[in-house]
Amino acid sequence: MTTALSAVARYVDRRQRFFFPAPAVAVLFLIIVLPIAFNLYLMFTKWTVGLGEPRFIGWDNFVEIFGDERVWNGVKVMIYFSGASLALELFFGLMIALYFNRTFRGSEAVQAIYIIPFAATPVAVALIWRIMLNPEIGVINYLLTSIGLPPGLWVASPDTVIATLVMVDVWKWTPMITLIVLAGLKSLPHDPYEAARIDGCNALQIFWYITLPLIRPVLIAALMLRSLDNLKEFDMIYTITQGGPGIASETLYLYSYNVSFGFFKAGYGSALMVIVFLVVLVFNVLMNRLRRDASLV
Amino acid sequence: MANVIVKNLVKRFNAVTAVDNLSLEIHDREFAVLIGSSGCGKTTVLRMIAGLEPITSGEVFIGDTLVNDMEPKDRDIAMVFQNYALYPHMNVRDNLGFGLKIRKFPKAEIDARVQEAADILGIHDLLERKPKELSGGQRQRVALGRAIVRKPKVFLFDEPLSNLDAKLRVAMRAEISKLHRRLGATIIYVTHDQVEAMTMADRIFIMHKGTLQQTGAPMEVYLKPANLFVAGFIGSPSMNFIEAKVIREADAWWIDAGEFKLRAPAAFDARLEPHAGRTVIFGVRPEDMTAHDPAAGAGGGNTLTARADVVETLGAEIFVHLTCGALAIVARMEAPEQPLTEGQTVDVDLKMLKTHVFDKETSQTIV
Repeated sequence: MTTALSAVARYVDRRQRFFFPAPAVAVLFLIIVLPIAFNLYLMFTKWTVGLGEPRFIGWDNFVEIFGDERVWNGVKVMIYFSGASLALELFFGLMIALYFNRTFRGSEAVQAIYIIPFAATPVAVALIWRIMLNPEIGVINYLLTSIGLPPGLWVASPDTVIATLVMVDVWKWTPMITLIVLAGLKSLPHDPYEAARIDGCNALQIFWYITLPLIRPVLIAALMLRSLDNLKEFDMIYTITQGGPGIASETLYLYSYNVSFGFFKAGYGSALMVIVFLVVLVFNVLMNRLRRDASLV
Repeated sequence: MANVIVKNLVKRFNAVTAVDNLSLEIHDREFAVLIGSSGCGKTTVLRMIAGLEPITSGEVFIGDTLVNDMEPKDRDIAMVFQNYALYPHMNVRDNLGFGLKIRKFPKAEIDARVQEAADILGIHDLLERKPKELSGGQRQRVALGRAIVRKPKVFLFDEPLSNLDAKLRVAMRAEISKLHRRLGATIIYVTHDQVEAMTMADRIFIMHKGTLQQTGAPMEVYLKPANLFVAGFIGSPSMNFIEAKVIREADAWWIDAGEFKLRAPAAFDARLEPHAGRTVIFGVRPEDMTAHDPAAGAGGGNTLTARADVVETLGAEIFVHLTCGALAIVARMEAPEQPLTEGQTVDVDLKMLKTHVFDKETSQTIV
């Protein structure tokens, strides 16, 4: 008995490097590996959830994607929305970080207030914006008309919906870029700035020739971090417009959600998800390459 | 080139006075070294001359121009920083040429000047490298080069060698001296290293607690220190200070330290007389003392007896740490043929003409 028990103990002891991580590995497998594998399987099938079994159809889903006008609309909306919002967030984030990168009276209080949008829950923020942007009962049009300006249609018009969503996204996420860039600015060496002042630079030249090149790796890192969320922005757009009016604000990601969980076309939806994934991946690989070049200083 | 005049300069950081009513004049083409222990305000003075630090009160002139309210870029100065302050994202060529590019020099002129500086400093092979890829000594050369290409009126050096290893420091010291001769430039050089000051300076400006203590040629401040601080600061190991009384005996003035009594040379008489009976600080440099076996015979009246506690051998020289009663004294001398043993009693001969006497209350030099 004792020998049998000690044999088991020895067995466990010798293999503890497998036993201890086993629960974590099992959970990871169940919630990450398995769904991805299932998704990769589904993208080669035609399957309407609830109606029969998935049917293998090879690359047909991808062929369909190329002919699907809503896909191209989604790509267009994504480029417009992400391009504009990322560019503006980066620009304002940098400018405000430069402004905060000095001490002035009450600067800490101002910074604390400034990051509130970033700290707030995205869906709650989106809901409040939806109400504020309502052309009939929204407070924004009320304020505009009360000072004599014409009211806007905001998310109610296909012409202004993306610009409005960009505005909300910039309002919410610029503070995050600011925080990252500010941390970068605070870590910059002090000496080159004094050398530049003696070398003859004015404030603008110091920014252009010293700050900007030195901060570039941080800017790219901030852009990468933000783009991961932004390219698959979902909760804010879904809460405010559900991709409407019509499909005017339906990004590729939103469309793939609608296909999978609105129309229950799981096979086609999976194929679309993979396309979104590839877009995000390629963008970040490119950014990472840029960042590596920039940090070679 | 130009002279630099500082008049009644004051710098306060809140309640702390870093520079206290300092006036100095640095001549055209002079190599001036500002020296003092850390926190004495020497770097602050340099930064105020550069325009990097606002002036609390006082005036700074470069050439004939009052530069108090001028931006650093308009003062026609170049500065070499302690941490080099190279632009990390530019290669060496761009680092050297940056100041000229900003000042809109033609491209050909920039190239020519960069080449010239690279020739002078021997950094041709490094031109395409980034600062990260350079050693400390190479970075220091680039920092020098960046100053040279500008051909400024005044060069400002802020402890440029303190981050280099000892060997490199010796080499760069010589190189900076050569550079000074070659460029004929006015140089203001801040350091806490007295070897740098002694070897490179035309004149040394010794600072302590924000005030100027003494100005003079290196040998002048070494031989004739104005006060106790300068006497202790210049020289290595530093001067021995011994509290003693000035007394009159047998028709001569004597320095009576209790443990020993030394006869002052006749040349000191006039200046010692007013201090008769008072307690003073007697100073003698380690190199003005020789310790030897008592058997070798004593020198008349200028010898004290002590115990050799520790003998440090440096090769050609030795440092002997002596105890004379309660006093600790260091002597620096040539290594004797018959080595001294630690713990032995020795006679110590003093070159009395080279000793100093300081007022205990005012710290000023009496002799």
